[in-house]
Amino acid sequence: MLQETSTLSGNKKITKKLSEPQYKPKKKRFYTSLPFWFILPTILVVLVVQVYPAVYTAWLSFQERTPQGWENVGFHNYERLVQTPVFQESIGHTLIFLIGYTATTLVAGFFIASLLKQHVGSTGIFVTFLFIPWIIADIVVGLMFRLLVTPTYGLLTPVLGNPELFPPSGISVLTGIRPTPWISGFPFPPAPALIYLIIAASWRALPFVTLLILAALQTVPSEVLESARIDGASGLQIVRDITIPLIMPAMVVCLFTLILGSMNGVGMVFSLTGGGPGTSTYLLSYFLYILGWRQLNFGRAAALALLITAVNWVLIFLILRITRVNERSR
Amino acid sequence: MGNLFSNSNGKLQLNLSRLAINRIISFTLIIITLITMIPVITTIVTSFKEQADITRDPPIFFPCDTDERVFDIRECRWAVEGYERVLGFQQSDTALLGFELTGRMVRRYIPNTIIYALGSAVFVTILAGFSGYAFSRYKFKGHKALLVGIFAVTGVPLLTNMMAIYQMSIVLRRTWNEIIANVQFINLPSYDDRLFLIFVYIGFFLPIGVWIAKGFFDAIPRELEESAMVEGCTPIGALIRVTMPLSAPGLSAVFLLTFVNIWNEFIVAYLLITRTEYKPAMVGLYDFLSQNLINLQVLAAVCLIIATPILILFLLFRRSFLRAMVEGAIKG
Repeated sequence: MLQETSTLSGNKKITKKLSEPQYKPKKKRFYTSLPFWFILPTILVVLVVQVYPAVYTAWLSFQERTPQGWENVGFHNYERLVQTPVFQESIGHTLIFLIGYTATTLVAGFFIASLLKQHVGSTGIFVTFLFIPWIIADIVVGLMFRLLVTPTYGLLTPVLGNPELFPPSGISVLTGIRPTPWISGFPFPPAPALIYLIIAASWRALPFVTLLILAALQTVPSEVLESARIDGASGLQIVRDITIPLIMPAMVVCLFTLILGSMNGVGMVFSLTGGGPGTSTYLLSYFLYILGWRQLNFGRAAALALLITAVNWVLIFLILRITRVNERSR
Repeated sequence: MGNLFSNSNGKLQLNLSRLAINRIISFTLIIITLITMIPVITTIVTSFKEQADITRDPPIFFPCDTDERVFDIRECRWAVEGYERVLGFQQSDTALLGFELTGRMVRRYIPNTIIYALGSAVFVTILAGFSGYAFSRYKFKGHKALLVGIFAVTGVPLLTNMMAIYQMSIVLRRTWNEIIANVQFINLPSYDDRLFLIFVYIGFFLPIGVWIAKGFFDAIPRELEESAMVEGCTPIGALIRVTMPLSAPGLSAVFLLTFVNIWNEFIVAYLLITRTEYKPAMVGLYDFLSQNLINLQVLAAVCLIIATPILILFLLFRRSFLRAMVEGAIKG
């Protein structure tokens, strides 16, 4: 009887009262502090490896190294960072990269996901093969794509270098410099290497996007689509007016996740282009590496790191808001 | 009767057109899958070429051309030169199978990676299991703040944290060496980069693990535990006998995800590991890149050797992989 009330109501207060008298007072104190002991190690590790370093970096961004040690210089590091031409360039590259990368993966992902959803019968084999790029390390993907365009010996090099296909003089991915920008200060059109980097990154992220959109598509109730079809809506209308609005929250979450991932990853730039030719594939994260570990400019690197963190946090906040709205509407 | 007939007829026609559409969809999917596989296929083909066929201008896709014909399947010059150079294949009388592999990649880098990935993944799974359970089952002061806090720290870019962690590793090494110099009565082991690296990995991949584990625990009905406790189990007994077995798939997903993420991780190890013999496979790969700019078959072989173990893992545990990766990516 007692058990029945607890399972049926599922009310925490009642069950707590039921189970309480079974322990002696001393044990009870142990059990109420149990979650604390469960969480403590995690909190400690996260404090040492994530929180303290972040705080230290924030402190570092206001310091400059002098022969006597660190010296507080206020916002000087930020000022110097913003004045660096490579920084402005990197923002441009990052923006171009993000737009190209997210647009390619979302459009292609939506297309493939709709195909998979329409497909009757087993899709497991397609999902398995399509998913392989996502589990290959980004540095390996970069290297695999680099092999294709290695000067002279790469399989794609003669095709891309053919002046008839790509006037005026063909494309050389790893050495082609950036054309003169249309607007001064903004690196558009980008160097071929940046476009190739976008292709490689999209290739790796596509399976993930496809899978997320497929999961979202499967939550669209088929009755709604059916009734729209009966009312005489065309296929395009259904996609535009019903499917896309319904899966919009998933698409937005996907978009932000993609941006977050590409803002933080550097492996592909390392192995595919190494930032070059010149500085034409410097993304912000790679520029951070160069500033911090090649030029040993810790103050300015910390300032840049904080700026990237701020952008990330805004994105995460938006993800949390959107997923919460999503859960509530269900 | 006539009504029924036309009905079934109509349905048959519908099915037929549906079948045709499905054929088209299948065909398109096959084409897309093939296009997706192009970089992988070219890497595999490249890895089996000889040096002479790699450095040809213009390059050829299949090393199968002869003087008379462009493609002759009997004249293909497949070679395992690339693999030989990576594995360092050598005949040896003392070895168990009559040969031994002397390449650095298989002797040092890949075993290192396995140690790092296994060690960190085990700790991450245990810690994430306990704290995920606590977050899922108990309400306490600061519950939500802690959860959001753990979520927020994942938003700090890896390189931001690395600035401080890099300094920490330098300070640690210096302090340890001083201790060794001053303490004479016991033999202390010399400073080991690897322990610190594993610790850093645990910290980096724990937050995502906690979130995934909490999600899995949330899906296990609380009533099961409660009825076990009413029957006389202690809370820990209920956790071990009821909840743990039920959460095994979820925790193994956390383990797999962490393992793969650390296997594929590059920049942290690149910055923290200073000694060549402690390098993991991804850092070793980067060294190969700078040493073999023209030996494309060696590079391709390295890529495949590194990617294959993860690929096999993926094929074996496809289902829990897909779930954990999507969930981890959304929350991470």
